[in-house]
Amino acid sequence: MTTELKVGIVVLISIALLFYMSVRIGKFGGLMQQGYELKVNFENVGGLDNKSPVQVAGVEVGQVKDIKLRKYHARVTLIITPGVKIPKDSKAAIKSFGILGDKYLEIIPGQSAQHLKDRDTIENVTAYADYDELFDTVSQAAKSFGRTMDDLNSLLGEKEKQDIRSAFQNIQQAAGEFKGLIADNRDNVAVITTNLAVASEQFQPLVQKAEATFSGVNEIVQGVKEGKGTLGLLVKDDKLYKDASQTVASLQSISSDINQGKGSLGMLMKDDSLYLDAKETVKNLRDMTDGINRGEGTLGKLVKDPTLAVEAEKTMKKVQKAAEGVQEQTPITILGTIFGILF
Amino acid sequence: MEETVIRVLDLYKSFNSHRVLDGINLEIERGKITVIIGKSGGGKSVLMKHLIGLMKPDRGEIWIDGVEITRLKERELNKVRRKFGMLFQEAALFDSMNVMENVEFPLREHTSMPLKEIRRTADDRLREVGLLGFGDKMPSELSGGMKKRVGLARALALDPEMILFDEPTSALDPIISLTIQDLIKETQMLLKKTYVVISHDIAGMFRIADKVAMLYEGKIIAFGTPEEVKKNPDEAVQEFLRATGMPGFVGGGV
Amino acid sequence: MNSVVAPLRKFATEFGAIWLLFLDTVYWTFRSRLKLGYLFKQMEFVGVRSLGVVIITGGFTGMVLALQTYYGFRKFSSEGMVGATVALSMTRELGPVLTGLMVTGRAGSAMAAQLGSMRVTEQIDALTVMALSPIKYLIVPRVLASLFMLPVLTIISDFVGIVGGYLVGVKMLSINEGVFMARMIKYVTLDDIYNGLVKAAVFGVLLSLISCYKGFNTKGGAEGVGQSTTQAVVYSSIAILISDYILTSLMW
Repeated sequence: MTTELKVGIVVLISIALLFYMSVRIGKFGGLMQQGYELKVNFENVGGLDNKSPVQVAGVEVGQVKDIKLRKYHARVTLIITPGVKIPKDSKAAIKSFGILGDKYLEIIPGQSAQHLKDRDTIENVTAYADYDELFDTVSQAAKSFGRTMDDLNSLLGEKEKQDIRSAFQNIQQAAGEFKGLIADNRDNVAVITTNLAVASEQFQPLVQKAEATFSGVNEIVQGVKEGKGTLGLLVKDDKLYKDASQTVASLQSISSDINQGKGSLGMLMKDDSLYLDAKETVKNLRDMTDGINRGEGTLGKLVKDPTLAVEAEKTMKKVQKAAEGVQEQTPITILGTIFGILF
Repeated sequence: MEETVIRVLDLYKSFNSHRVLDGINLEIERGKITVIIGKSGGGKSVLMKHLIGLMKPDRGEIWIDGVEITRLKERELNKVRRKFGMLFQEAALFDSMNVMENVEFPLREHTSMPLKEIRRTADDRLREVGLLGFGDKMPSELSGGMKKRVGLARALALDPEMILFDEPTSALDPIISLTIQDLIKETQMLLKKTYVVISHDIAGMFRIADKVAMLYEGKIIAFGTPEEVKKNPDEAVQEFLRATGMPGFVGGGV
Repeated sequence: MNSVVAPLRKFATEFGAIWLLFLDTVYWTFRSRLKLGYLFKQMEFVGVRSLGVVIITGGFTGMVLALQTYYGFRKFSSEGMVGATVALSMTRELGPVLTGLMVTGRAGSAMAAQLGSMRVTEQIDALTVMALSPIKYLIVPRVLASLFMLPVLTIISDFVGIVGGYLVGVKMLSINEGVFMARMIKYVTLDDIYNGLVKAAVFGVLLSLISCYKGFNTKGGAEGVGQSTTQAVVYSSIAILISDYILTSLMW
């Protein structure tokens, strides 16, 4: 290989690379200059340059050829790619690629059927949103904000500041403690969560059962509404009800007998069994109401045992989900359902 | 017959206030071997570089073939230089070229001879210095003595009127030194050129010199045939001669 | 002369001498027919033999540029700019400068060493005595070869650097290829490339001229050659970096 050949190969390779890069960049000076000219007058073209792109709907359709000052206005000459037709009532605006980006000229096409010809002027111009102005406004706003803060600062005395400070410290402390609490009970929390999951699994069949029970309870409620007996609802004891009504009937007859003067208090006292029956009945009734009042039984347990309560809540949610069709039911009835399950 | 070809008049040269040439007057005859003898570092090389225009004097004149060269521009100076060939102390062969290219080089650059003729002339020169067939060797492959022969062949290539020798026998062993002396003498006898030799090798140079100039402390203190110089009563000359360690040495002559 | 004036005087002297050598070189370039053989030899020496080192430095510079700028641009979520940054840095700045510095290290030092040893072995005097101009035979081919080959090497360095940046950016860091290329094509102009090549040509003249000057004016045997070589590399590198700043500010 001769010296000349080696040099020649290297030079040729480099020329080929230069040509390739030039073509890829595709900005051979005059190539983009083909097309027709349009003119736009702006109050201010700040940042727009020769060769800045011209876009329609974000598509480059040409570039700025020339910017000249005319009567204190900027006259911008554009070169538009042939074949791109710009309606007569189109609007021109200077925009930028992002807040720090280069400026470009956007043409917002109008509706007119007539198109602009070579050397025509785009009449509609949107004023240029000057970033300097924008920044000026922002900085003024920032200044007045600063002043407000100063005022606030001066309003706050030393004591108030101290209070705020200690308040923050308290919050911080509380947050710290809370964090510590969680950290300490991490295992417990985990266990509870697991339990909950297990419990809810177990509740699954119960929920189905509950649904069945629910309709029963509902019937009972209906019955109560219809006056089929009040207390009987809760105990479902027809006998008691009958006893009670019998008792009431007996009492009624006794009182009518008294009213009729057929007997005396002594007579009433003679009939031991009747007296004892009545007394027993009344006592039973009172126990029952007291029990409910005190929240004994399942409801009480429900309240006292938090685990159970949470499980119940979870179950409730499941119940709610499951009973999509009975959404109109009030939570009380649902609670009633649970009652039914648990009894 | 005795025609002066180089005439040096009142030549002064200083380097950093150290005076190296202190009023040199010298006449060199055509067709003779003139040896300028002096100590190492005594200004011999400086004097020779003035003769060929590599250095400009502070003061004084140098006439070569009737042309004063110290005030010439480079272009005119080059015309004068064409009359010279020079053998440098270490031959100064171009180490990027082989022996043949070295000898051909002045011919290629200064003549419009066809390549064949250049090649033949270079071969002739190499034959004259006894190195025919060494053309393909690179300078780095040659011994000191061989380099000087190639240097001489190159100096002779353009058939110059005058040849300058800078320490032709330094750094050579005595036997090679002798053959180089003989080579100088032989070629001079053959070609009848003007040879100017500078050397500190008194013994060797007295063998071949037609004229000897003795340079001492920036001045020529003795000039003449070797015999004349040897008989020179000047104390410095005698001391110089004794320093060779060869008293009574009878120099070359023809 | 005190300690301030002496170095300044020396600097001014050398600067003037290099400038005169430049004028002489221009004069001899146009005065006589170019020695094409010598020119091609030097073009091979400066250009072809520097190819490897230029490709390696260019490639790795492009790769590390992609890595570094990716790290920076990721903070602004604009990784797509990596391609444009690598291409602009290579074409405008690093291609020419690194090529200049590499050729200084490889060929400039060799020029100083060659001419220095020619000086101390009197080969330069031999040329003069033959009535041949050492500037024409020794310096003009070297300066012209550097002038021509530096832009050539810079094109290759630019290209390899951009390819390196592409490999790291697109293939390794998974920057979207389309965005990478589009931004590069959008932001790099032909002027960026051509300005870089003009720079490279100036660097070529500077480094060859300074290296030749240092070699040409070598004094004091083998030791002097070593000294000249070192100085040639140091002075050329400094000249490249200073002139790079000046050229960049002029061409902005």
